[in-house]
Amino acid sequence: MVLLQVLINGLFLGGVYALISLGLTLIFGVIRVINFAHGEILMISMYASFFCFSVLGLNPYLSLIIVIPGMFLVGVLVDQVIIRPIRNAPSYMQIFATVGLSVVLINLALVFFSGDYRSINLAFAKQVVHMGDIGISLSRLIVFISAIAVAWLVWLFLDRTDMGKQIRAIAQDRDAARLMGINPNKIYMITFGIGSAMVGLAGGLIMPLYYVFPSVGAYFVLTAFVVVVLGGLGNMVGALLGGLIIGVIDSLSGYYLDPALKEMVYFLVFLGVLLFKPSGLMGMIGAEEMGLK
Amino acid sequence: MLGSYFKNIGAPGVYFPSLILLAFLAVAALVPNEFYLNLFFMIFMFAGMSGAWNIIGGYAGQISLGHAAFYGVGAYTSAVLFAKLGLPPVIGIFASMGGAVILAFIIGYPCLRLKGPFFTLATLAVAEVLQLLAVYFRGLTEGSEGLSIPYEPAWYNLIFESKNSYAVLAFGYMVLVLVITLVLERSKLGYQLTALRDEDQAAESLGVNTSRAKIAAFVLSGVLTALGAVIVSQYVLFLEPHSDFSVNVSVELALMSMVGGLGTAVGPLIGAAILIPLGEFLRAWVGGGIQGLHYVIYGCILILVVMFMPHGIKALVENKYQALIGLLPRFGAAARPQPEEEVHLHFESRETQAAKDGHPLIAAHEISKDFGGLRVLSGISFAVRPGEILGIIGPNGAGKTTLFNVLSGVYRPSSGRVEFDGQDITQIRRIHQVCHLGMGRTYQIVKPFGNMTVLDNVMVGAFCNQAGSATAREIALEVLALVGLLDKRSHEAKSLTLANMKRLEMARALATKPKLLLLDEVMAGLNPNEIDEAIKLIRDIRDYGSTVIVVEHVMRAIMSLSERIMVIAQGEKVTEGLPREVIADQRVIKAYLGDGFELA
Amino acid sequence: MSLLEINNVSVKYGDLVALRDVSLSIKQGGIVSLVGSNGSGKTTLINTLSGLMECSAGSIVFNGRPIQDMPAHKRVDLGLVQIPENRRLFPYMTVLENLEMGSMTHRSRDKRQDNIKKVMHLFPILSKRSKQIANTLSGGEQRMLAIGRGLMSDPELLMLDEPSIGLAPIVVQEIFKAIALINELGTTVLLVEQDVNASLKISSHGYVLENGEITLSGPAHELLGSEKVREAYMGL
Repeated sequence: MVLLQVLINGLFLGGVYALISLGLTLIFGVIRVINFAHGEILMISMYASFFCFSVLGLNPYLSLIIVIPGMFLVGVLVDQVIIRPIRNAPSYMQIFATVGLSVVLINLALVFFSGDYRSINLAFAKQVVHMGDIGISLSRLIVFISAIAVAWLVWLFLDRTDMGKQIRAIAQDRDAARLMGINPNKIYMITFGIGSAMVGLAGGLIMPLYYVFPSVGAYFVLTAFVVVVLGGLGNMVGALLGGLIIGVIDSLSGYYLDPALKEMVYFLVFLGVLLFKPSGLMGMIGAEEMGLK
Repeated sequence: MLGSYFKNIGAPGVYFPSLILLAFLAVAALVPNEFYLNLFFMIFMFAGMSGAWNIIGGYAGQISLGHAAFYGVGAYTSAVLFAKLGLPPVIGIFASMGGAVILAFIIGYPCLRLKGPFFTLATLAVAEVLQLLAVYFRGLTEGSEGLSIPYEPAWYNLIFESKNSYAVLAFGYMVLVLVITLVLERSKLGYQLTALRDEDQAAESLGVNTSRAKIAAFVLSGVLTALGAVIVSQYVLFLEPHSDFSVNVSVELALMSMVGGLGTAVGPLIGAAILIPLGEFLRAWVGGGIQGLHYVIYGCILILVVMFMPHGIKALVENKYQALIGLLPRFGAAARPQPEEEVHLHFESRETQAAKDGHPLIAAHEISKDFGGLRVLSGISFAVRPGEILGIIGPNGAGKTTLFNVLSGVYRPSSGRVEFDGQDITQIRRIHQVCHLGMGRTYQIVKPFGNMTVLDNVMVGAFCNQAGSATAREIALEVLALVGLLDKRSHEAKSLTLANMKRLEMARALATKPKLLLLDEVMAGLNPNEIDEAIKLIRDIRDYGSTVIVVEHVMRAIMSLSERIMVIAQGEKVTEGLPREVIADQRVIKAYLGDGFELA
Repeated sequence: MSLLEINNVSVKYGDLVALRDVSLSIKQGGIVSLVGSNGSGKTTLINTLSGLMECSAGSIVFNGRPIQDMPAHKRVDLGLVQIPENRRLFPYMTVLENLEMGSMTHRSRDKRQDNIKKVMHLFPILSKRSKQIANTLSGGEQRMLAIGRGLMSDPELLMLDEPSIGLAPIVVQEIFKAIALINELGTTVLLVEQDVNASLKISSHGYVLENGEITLSGPAHELLGSEKVREAYMGL
């Protein structure tokens, strides 16, 4: 029974990780840039949700209407201002630029909002439904369902719509896509926007559950790196699966080993994957090109 | 090194920076103001540690964001030994460095196989893991509460009453890293690192064991970082996992190098000299009230540098500095005119086992190569005698470049084998080994080490069989004279014309002293005059002692060069024979012009 | 009036001149062959026309509009369509999706279903494979798919870069038949081929490119069998 509870907790936590990782993996798969500032976009969206609640009195689930499009715009801005000029530059420059952005955003938050831990006190967030011995947190259930729904919707979008197909085409062969009349810059911009909007949704949904502070993104994004590498960078299904697996590992090792060691366990998983199967569980798009096969 | 330093001390390029360093030392030793001493201590330490990062991040081009791991391990090892066992840090520092060596091997061996951002992610994760471990093993590290280092001033504890002593020690550390970097720059390893950063495949082809070179750089970088960490922790006297293993440490070390100039000895110094004071003054003036502001500025500077001056501030001031150096007087030996270097060509025939035994130098037996379902080469056999020039021709897509890649060990054939001077090439695991066996090659798409000079490019090849820089330089100059690039030796490779880049490719390969040289379309894109020169050059190369296989589309060249020509089309050998026989062969005309093309 | 008019176009890679003062004109309706040995600049010329590469001098006029400064994706919308060398399919997409990718422009989007039918009619094998992932097709099928995908863009001028390269002779015949048929149905074709004979046979006009310059041009039947073409090709 305890094991079941631990597993459910793990899956729900995995939902959080998956939701954050989906955007990261989409951006990498298409633009081939690892956004080291992805966590800070999460941080911004959490603050946005927090202030919508504390200043405007908006319920965090309702404020998603503002946060999601807002983060889309932030993503578009980051892409056009910072990534676009160095799109074809060596990868170390993209690493430096996004790391630089991450440093700026964390510390801007520190300057404006101080290092205080802030949270939203929402009665709903604490509601737990009991089924026999098993307790299910409603707000975590929402995150879990959202993660699966978002993964499914994005998959539908990529699979069925013209825009989605264009995104996939650019990811698979940029020059061939140009010969199909597709404007790569527009697709990159939209992809960065969508990836950021997805993490915006994550930020809004987890605000009732977690504290927000300037470096909260760094905490989550490291896990997200683990998740996307485990799932196969660029692979949406992989990110969902990887998120759930890491959630369960987190939960199991926290319960059976030591809470202080749970992150270590999945970082070791991470290193293991990087070393032995760097293309991840589901295989990575363009793995050969990255020299991983 | 030291000898040549004193020999050249009269040159402004040597004495001027030395004087600047001496001025720094004087400031460190004499300034009484605590604020400024602290500032100088930090500048020296960060210049040194960023310099250590720069060895792997700048020279080898592997961006580590996990140097906090070396920093933390270095700091904690000696501090724990000191605080818990009373072992003086002067001894403990060696344990720290040893820890860094072990760590570098453990991380480096697997992670350096990863490319670009994946290496970065792996290093990031390693530092996180170590941070968690440092928190977890409270018994050793005091966990999150932090470890206080007892204040017991003594030289062997590296704890001093006077901040001047700290500043002098930090200065010494910085100079140590600087000297090591300068020595590295001029060593075989330094050349290899810069080469693999620019083009790792080409470097392998020139005999560079890229994985070993990267690990060596990583170990050196880690050890020096750990050394610096011990000095800093004996100054701060307090360690805490969340700051000592923090990603901020890694980012700051990388940042200084990037801002100053990646992969340059002086870059980290410039970066530290600008960023540390900026941060300290911001903290001092704006006060503790606005936490994080100096990091905002750091981050902005990093982004702006990446976007607008990717070569850092050093590149920005380089010309002005050189102009200044030019204005300064020369003294002593440096004032006398330098004698011109004399270059002699040594034509010699390479000893090959094959020549002795009367066997072919290289023989391919029934080579086939599939990519996915596509058969690119099928059942190709041929042999080349020592001293021969063999031409390989065939229409576009015939599989010529694939054949070259199989011959040179880049691809493993799906079936068949290649015997080179008694060795089976297809059993070879790493490309650099092929070079050591005595096979050199050029690439159809030129792969110069763009940021190195022409001479340095060729020296990378010369280091294949030579450990010493002086001999490697001699060989390189000789080869440059042979290919006619001697007057361009100090140009950056990326500034060459295409014709010269092709010559450079040949020169690099020649510098490895190959028994066999594979030339892949070295004439494509050249004008008729340049082609004539290239023909003559290839003949000279053969006379110089190499056997040559040429893939070429320029028919005129291949006809006059080759002693024999092999024709392949659609992955199969069509025919081989004397040039005039081959060219009149109906099957060859058909392969080129299509079925049924009949001369009117 | 010509459909495509190239005036004194030069292209450089760094300091290497890949094309020098190339002028060429293509009339509505025919098939024009561009032949020349490897490295003579054929692919460069086609890439310059489609906008994958920039020209350093000269003008390109398509249907009366100067297009030399227009980005690649906009040229497709005008009906100037390139089928690149080595197929360049989207390897992880199905056959049908690859075809759909050809009709992402305003020009062709509404005609998608009609064009799919036309392509399937032209290459019946593709309709059998429509759900298959592109990189699992055989070489010949991939080539057909690439041509089909180009047709989906509703081209006025279809530029094919080495459509026969690496294919078995029987498949080559099929491809050339298809090209002739496409032309009969009203699409002008610019054909870059190493199979000089096969391509000149179905062409109305030919140009010979040597070392980045046009050295010979004329009606295809005159070039066919010409000693000069052989020289240009084999460099002798």
